[in-house]
Amino acid sequence: MKAFTTLALLASAAGLSACSSVGSGEYGGFSDYALVRVARVNVGDGQMSVVAPRNYNRHRRILFSDVRDVEDWTLNGPLLDGISFVSGMNNNRELIRQRRTANQQVPRFRSDMTPPEIAAMLESLYRVKGGAVDLKTLSLQPRPFLGANGFQWDYEHLDSDELWRRGRAVGAVIDGKLYMILFDAARSHYYEAVLPDFESIVASAQRRG
Amino acid sequence: MCMRCANLTRRSLLAGGAVAAASLHTGVAQARIRPQDMAPLIGPGFKPTDKDEQGLWKEMERAEEEIAGSNLVIRDPKLTSYLQNIIGTVGGPAAKDFRIYLVRIPDFNAMMFPSGFAVVFSGLLLRMRNEAQLAGVIAHESGHFLRRHQIRSWRDQRRKTDLFAIGAMLAGVGGAAGGVYLGDYVRLAELGTILSLFQYSREMEAEADAIGSKNMAAAGYPPVEMSNIWQQLIGEENASARYRGKHRRRGSLFDTHPSSDARMADLRADAAELTVPGKVYDNGRARYLSTIGEIRPTLLDDQVKLNDPGASQYLIETLAQDGWNGLLRFYEGEIWRLRNRTGDDVRAAQSYAAAVVYPDAPADAWRWHGISLMKQGRRAEAKAAFNRYLTMKPDAPDAAWVRQMAG
Repeated sequence: MKAFTTLALLASAAGLSACSSVGSGEYGGFSDYALVRVARVNVGDGQMSVVAPRNYNRHRRILFSDVRDVEDWTLNGPLLDGISFVSGMNNNRELIRQRRTANQQVPRFRSDMTPPEIAAMLESLYRVKGGAVDLKTLSLQPRPFLGANGFQWDYEHLDSDELWRRGRAVGAVIDGKLYMILFDAARSHYYEAVLPDFESIVASAQRRG
Repeated sequence: MCMRCANLTRRSLLAGGAVAAASLHTGVAQARIRPQDMAPLIGPGFKPTDKDEQGLWKEMERAEEEIAGSNLVIRDPKLTSYLQNIIGTVGGPAAKDFRIYLVRIPDFNAMMFPSGFAVVFSGLLLRMRNEAQLAGVIAHESGHFLRRHQIRSWRDQRRKTDLFAIGAMLAGVGGAAGGVYLGDYVRLAELGTILSLFQYSREMEAEADAIGSKNMAAAGYPPVEMSNIWQQLIGEENASARYRGKHRRRGSLFDTHPSSDARMADLRADAAELTVPGKVYDNGRARYLSTIGEIRPTLLDDQVKLNDPGASQYLIETLAQDGWNGLLRFYEGEIWRLRNRTGDDVRAAQSYAAAVVYPDAPADAWRWHGISLMKQGRRAEAKAAFNRYLTMKPDAPDAAWVRQMAG
């Protein structure tokens, strides 16, 4: 499944154009994105399902390079907004594929992580893979998710394309697995515009199996 | 697929910035050039008279405008005037003409653009142990301008390059320098060409070292600090690479091989020549620390959160040579916590516990100390640590979560 590419893309103007230049794009009759209709759909590796409040674009899974339990959606394109799903990530797994020899690495998820540790793991993801040069926590608070004691992390970050973006992650660790939905969008206009969709998706989330 | 994109992000910017730059790290010296042989090739108020250089300056004006307006620029009047004063001291005849910008990028780099403005990365401020080292880097970069390296290199490279229009290359330079470089693979190829556009030769690096050392010594800084900087840079790169089980990168932008040892030896010889017996030199450490004191936690934060344990640990230990404190112990703990290998939670907990003993321990040290204690089942102590955190930072953004833990 998708390898948190949205996050990398969101934070990177260079990223998108690089991808679109090598991806097949829409011109050859094949898109990097697939349509998500307004219906209950499984996300990630299928351990979580949500209802899209309107038609969404799901980034297609890339074999080998993507993490099975992570999936990315976008409404206006990944530079402007994105919603990522983590559907029951196991202990010692990574949010994104990375080379073992890379100097800078996104920390692995551990089952005993507390919300500040999960927030810090995500912060490193933005900094290491997304090119963020500044990231501020706006709030970290308890919030029920999927019927469990979860958290809500609000934050904003300045990326190397000089744009400020804002995000919200809602998640919980259930039976040692990380379930999370993460929203990240340009701070100006797009965050506020798409936030109701995100909240509706979070409210609709159900755990499967 | 898009993993490749991610790799183009900040690095593209760095590479782009370094274009005009031919940054701090490029090239190496082979034959030592003596400081006393190095005279500036320009005087105060220099303006280009040749048409090609005038054109180059015009493009650089645009690049400077973009940089000056960038969100990445740190607009702290105290730091800005501090840097401006340093370049005004070690900048030789062009001292009063230089402009200098501090940008929020956690890397060891600084660069001089062909029209006389310099860009310093925030990561440089973290790595310098005193004002003399910072002045050394700035003097080195100023040296490139004083010896007219950019225009010389540009003319040389232009002769070799006919793949892309020069104007288009410079447009790329401007965009890259401003951090808005929208690189795709086609442009990346172009970037590769641009990168070679202002590449300094080894001889140029040797000249910049020599004139930089001379100007630094003339300003009253101990010239030996120039070689200390290189020693620290090489040490950090080695530590980072060794940690991931590989050799330090070679042939890259950040290369100082093959003769980094020779270069350091040359710098030490320069320092010996320039040091006047009996003269008192001031490395300005106290002034440096008091000036960057407020931003230092941010600089450490930016570095450590990149989760490059080899480099971060080397940096912390280098800074700790001037004495451990609560801030450094806290970030030592952060390195272990983010590394997150077996046993690292114990190491992190020990560092947090050590950090909070110091009076300068940041509030965050108390929070993480509390979390570590909580995980060990020491609830009463954890609660006390959380309360301490909330007292120090009552409006902390995560106060709601911490209160729940403390409750």
